[in-house]
Amino acid sequence: MSTNGMTTHGRKDSANDLEERFGDPYDEANPFGHAAIVAADERAELPDGAEAVLDEVGLNAEFVPERLGGRLTEVDALVRRLRPVFRRDAALGLGYGVTSFMAGLNVWLGGSDVQRKWLADALLGNGKVSVGYHELGRGNDLTGNEFSANRTGDSLILNGRKEVINNAGRAVAAVLFARTDTRGGGRDHSLLLVDLTRLDQERFRRLPRYRTLGLRGCALAGFEFDGCAVPDSALVGEVGAGPDLALRSFQVSRAVMAGAGLGILDAGLFGVLRFALDRRLYGRTVAELPHARSTLAGAYADLLTADAMVTAVTRALHVLPASASACAAAAKYLVPLLLEDAMNALSVILGARFYLREGEYAGFGKHMRDLPPLGIGHAGGVSCQLTILPQLPRLLRGTGDAAPAAVFDTAAPLPELDLAKLRLFAPAGDPLLAVLRDDGTPPAIAAELAALTDAAAAMSPRETGVAAGPAALALTERYALLLAAAAVLGQARHGDAPEGWAELALDRLAERLRPSAALPVFRPDAEEALFGDLVDRAASGVGFCLDRDLVHRSLAP
Amino acid sequence: MPTPGTSTDAATIAPIPADLAEWLAGRVAAYLDTTADAIDRDLPLAEYGLDSVYALSLCGDIEDTLTLVVEPTLAWDYPTVNAMAAYLRAEIERPAAT
Repeated sequence: MSTNGMTTHGRKDSANDLEERFGDPYDEANPFGHAAIVAADERAELPDGAEAVLDEVGLNAEFVPERLGGRLTEVDALVRRLRPVFRRDAALGLGYGVTSFMAGLNVWLGGSDVQRKWLADALLGNGKVSVGYHELGRGNDLTGNEFSANRTGDSLILNGRKEVINNAGRAVAAVLFARTDTRGGGRDHSLLLVDLTRLDQERFRRLPRYRTLGLRGCALAGFEFDGCAVPDSALVGEVGAGPDLALRSFQVSRAVMAGAGLGILDAGLFGVLRFALDRRLYGRTVAELPHARSTLAGAYADLLTADAMVTAVTRALHVLPASASACAAAAKYLVPLLLEDAMNALSVILGARFYLREGEYAGFGKHMRDLPPLGIGHAGGVSCQLTILPQLPRLLRGTGDAAPAAVFDTAAPLPELDLAKLRLFAPAGDPLLAVLRDDGTPPAIAAELAALTDAAAAMSPRETGVAAGPAALALTERYALLLAAAAVLGQARHGDAPEGWAELALDRLAERLRPSAALPVFRPDAEEALFGDLVDRAASGVGFCLDRDLVHRSLAP
Repeated sequence: MPTPGTSTDAATIAPIPADLAEWLAGRVAAYLDTTADAIDRDLPLAEYGLDSVYALSLCGDIEDTLTLVVEPTLAWDYPTVNAMAAYLRAEIERPAAT
């Protein structure tokens, strides 16, 4: 039972156009159904024709700011428009080009007008653009990157490799993070925008594909440069501005990557619910078994919690840009964990079928394999924790104003996204945490906020960098969980969330913050309300996220 | 380049230290787990292994204690304690732009 009582009250827009084109995933004859997608995954390919559909709807335009001819205005809307793609096949979402968006952000932020226009045109022409930060030997340690660009006259000479780079085999352009100095400190690296079609083929090589556990259809490869010259004009921003531009761009791409995962759990939850409503055991359907029912309601609650966090953080990029660095890192850290835990819990309901790579529910296993790269990829969980850690004492110190309603209410207008207003460290007093200082915060959550405030105040300065111990790092997880609680409360106050969700969600977050020895609080009324809403949505073609988008997927006949 | 002057919540701010170099050396020492005396105020901080994460934290300290909003590149533009202290002193004493 949704609060508006109308399960047909779904949201229809351009994302829904993609849902319609992709059709019912459970139709075996559908070229974009689970059967075809799992078969393509087995071949380590994207499903035939799926990229052509995305070309037709011009998905790349979602990555290009409106003033450059694209459709990018609001980051939370971008996340919603990507959802049908990730709900269908995360390898398609990433493989087609979320990495083009990551590359683009650096140029929208720091590039010249000429570079912006050139890149926008490349994307609007359905070109692929690679984002080249990663080197296998360096992981997330960007300041250790060895791929280099040396200035000679009006050229830059490139040497070294970029590895495990999406679309490296076919991209027309790449944004590359290159060492331009060796003095030590924060100005040793610069960003380059390179036209890959105009390089000396004797000195530039595209590396072979890497095989992966999940996202098998994604063509991850690499680049190798051996004294390859590019013009000086390839520099994005000033020499040495690389880390600064990267850490600002990452705030947006981390939030979007966290949001991309929502579609995966949405699809996994539907699959398991479909199974549970259809399969009979012990004289009843699986969905009538209390454990299964509670697991489904819990996974749904956590999906909405993850969505609330993504919604708050993507909107905070517009409303509270100075504070976004910590909360974007927190979302990129926590949301994949919430989603993976929920998928793991759901897999128990599928039982042995979860392990089959064939049959009607093989898509679930594929979704599960595809989820971890969203946590590992871009910036790994620990590197996100390290973004939060040095800021933690300041975030918990002082009491700034609480985040305004526009951070939570998706109907409220957003100020234009201004990437230049993003900061590398947030001002004192986290505005999202301040939401928890209101009345109405459950005592268990309020107590955890007080405990974290004390712990952060007692942190030794030495404990705020990579030398930090596990106890200090654990504080960042508590910060992320409290931000999620703030997002739930904000959504409960200003949004249109299903009945029962907020109380169940806050209970589940409190349990993560402080696991109890006793059995967790059981809220049968909230679980029943949420389970009822879940079944209503599934039966009436409404998705499971906060925005109630329309979906095309059928329950078992 | 640093931008001066946006003050944060005054209630949470300690008084501005009279000897900025002494205060900065103390902060740097805390990040390096050593004492202020051990910090040569004319040696680039990078030589102490003060990495970019600690440099960011230092900017946070400056913002909180001096009510100056500084860019994260401060430590690279003014790489020693004395250079940074001189810059910050000038910023504090500069009449507010608005």
